[in-house]
Amino acid sequence: MIGRTIAAVPVNYALSSIATALLARHLPMRPSEASITATLLSYLIFAVLAMMIFAARSTRRMWLWLGSATVGLGLLLWLSIHFGGRL
Amino acid sequence: MKGGLRQSMAWLHTWTGLLFGWLLFAVFLTGTCAFFQEEITRWMQPELTGTADPSQAVQSAVHFLEGKAPDAESWFITLPSARNMQTSLFWRPKRVEGEPRRRNRGETSATLDSAGNTVEARETRGGFFLYRFHFDLHYMPVRWARDLVSIASMFMLIAILTGVVTHKKIFVDFFMLRFGKGQRSWLDAHNVTAVFALPFYLMITYTGLVTLATQNMPWGIAANYADTSKFFAEVFPERERQERSDERVPLAPIGPMLEQASRHWDGAAIGYLSVTLPGDRNATVTVTRALSSSVNTRAPTMAFNGATGRPLTLPAATGGALATQGVMVGLHAGRFADWGLRWLYFLSGVGGTIMVGSGLVLWTVKRRAKLPDPARPHFGFRLVERLNVATIAGFPAGIAAYFLTNRLLPPHMAGRAEWEIHSIFILWGGMLLYAIVRPTRRAWIEGLMLAALLYLAVPLVNALTVPRNGLVGLFTGDWLFVAFDLTMLATAAGFAWAAHRMTRAKATQPPRRLARQPAELSPAE
Repeated sequence: MIGRTIAAVPVNYALSSIATALLARHLPMRPSEASITATLLSYLIFAVLAMMIFAARSTRRMWLWLGSATVGLGLLLWLSIHFGGRL
Repeated sequence: MKGGLRQSMAWLHTWTGLLFGWLLFAVFLTGTCAFFQEEITRWMQPELTGTADPSQAVQSAVHFLEGKAPDAESWFITLPSARNMQTSLFWRPKRVEGEPRRRNRGETSATLDSAGNTVEARETRGGFFLYRFHFDLHYMPVRWARDLVSIASMFMLIAILTGVVTHKKIFVDFFMLRFGKGQRSWLDAHNVTAVFALPFYLMITYTGLVTLATQNMPWGIAANYADTSKFFAEVFPERERQERSDERVPLAPIGPMLEQASRHWDGAAIGYLSVTLPGDRNATVTVTRALSSSVNTRAPTMAFNGATGRPLTLPAATGGALATQGVMVGLHAGRFADWGLRWLYFLSGVGGTIMVGSGLVLWTVKRRAKLPDPARPHFGFRLVERLNVATIAGFPAGIAAYFLTNRLLPPHMAGRAEWEIHSIFILWGGMLLYAIVRPTRRAWIEGLMLAALLYLAVPLVNALTVPRNGLVGLFTGDWLFVAFDLTMLATAAGFAWAAHRMTRAKATQPPRRLARQPAELSPAE
């Protein structure tokens, strides 16, 4: 349960933040509007992820999914900022 | 993980609920009070009476400021409303090269009645303190407090969602509040208050997180903006700063500007206005619509040339997402709500407070039966039990003490506003100590009785110390005091009833395990 809690709170926050940042960069609207929309959705993302993490049957598969999603999306975000730049 | 989805959700619900339950209880309770923050402030300054006339109030305020700070950098005037009779003024004095900025707000602010007289009332932070406490807490840096409250709210959101998943017979159980049945009653109380205003809790938790978004989820903005101030400049465009011309031109009459703005907003009330460089040729008057006239918390503004009185074009903040965010924050704060809706907000908040409190109690009730030796519970169990007594009985008792000290401390005592606030935490801490030394059952009963007595004492002490009270109010139409007294009495009755049930339930509850299977619809281990 401690493992799942670590997955569901700090790791989940990191993944939710990355997902929010990616949404903010790629939602088809003005940057300021996209930033706000992504932020408003971020809590939903966090809550749903937390429940999925606890609902998953296999802890190992949960970590595998969580880890690859965090690394994968994190890489995408890094590429997006590196090549797209920020305002 | 063993067990199904329901079991894991139940585990999550139980532990997220417990970890931040006490903080959430305090946040929910003070947030609920905050729906009536202006009324609470008015009750806490009973010297201030009379009615407000907004148009006269503006004239008086401008007249006052022209005498007091004719060459200020800017004036800020908050107009009276249906909920607040006073006009609040604040001004920024003219900048002098080389002189440090003055920090003392007391010297640059004033409160006026509609006729323009400064009003003197006892020093108190009133309902505003309860409002600020519900996200800034107290005795700690605001940043930490908001982080804590954000995390607690996130847990609350998860606890609500998992609570829905856990709860199989959510609507059937809504009609089942079984009193005097030990654990079942606590579970029923938790379920009924939870289901009763479930959409409200989801809304208030989610929108609460949104109000603190720039702190708890800054990454959406950081993803697009290397410099956050660029984001704010884009979202909230400001007029270019006007420089002082050093040519004195008297300020054009404000009344027509307000009328024009109000007409433009279909007759909505004006909430707030500011004047930059008053008395200068480059003066600007900015008028903001009252927050009560729309759900969106970002009220529109209109600007006027202060010397000619002609309207100026103002870059407007626009965008669907921004409006959505404004509406979310507005829904949370409920500033738009009229009386009926405001009471509904308040009652839903009370329900939420009871939901959190009963959930905390349920944690102990459910575990007591399963303890290896119920006479000697382990440390964690005792800690939860004691924190429950201290918070659920002690914190509300502290708020009663806040109201009582407002009446009992000498009106001109130094630091009286601070001591009113300390009284809340003295009660809370005192109750914790009491719960540690007393057997828990006795501490519960006596703590709840104390809360009941303190709430009962509020109208009595009020009647003995100030001329306004609920009984007199019935005849003079002072509905604020009528409603306040009745709310205090109802709260006292609620606590007395809880204490009474506690006495009965503990005496009659058989020591055997509960007959029904708790796993059927309740969080298991």
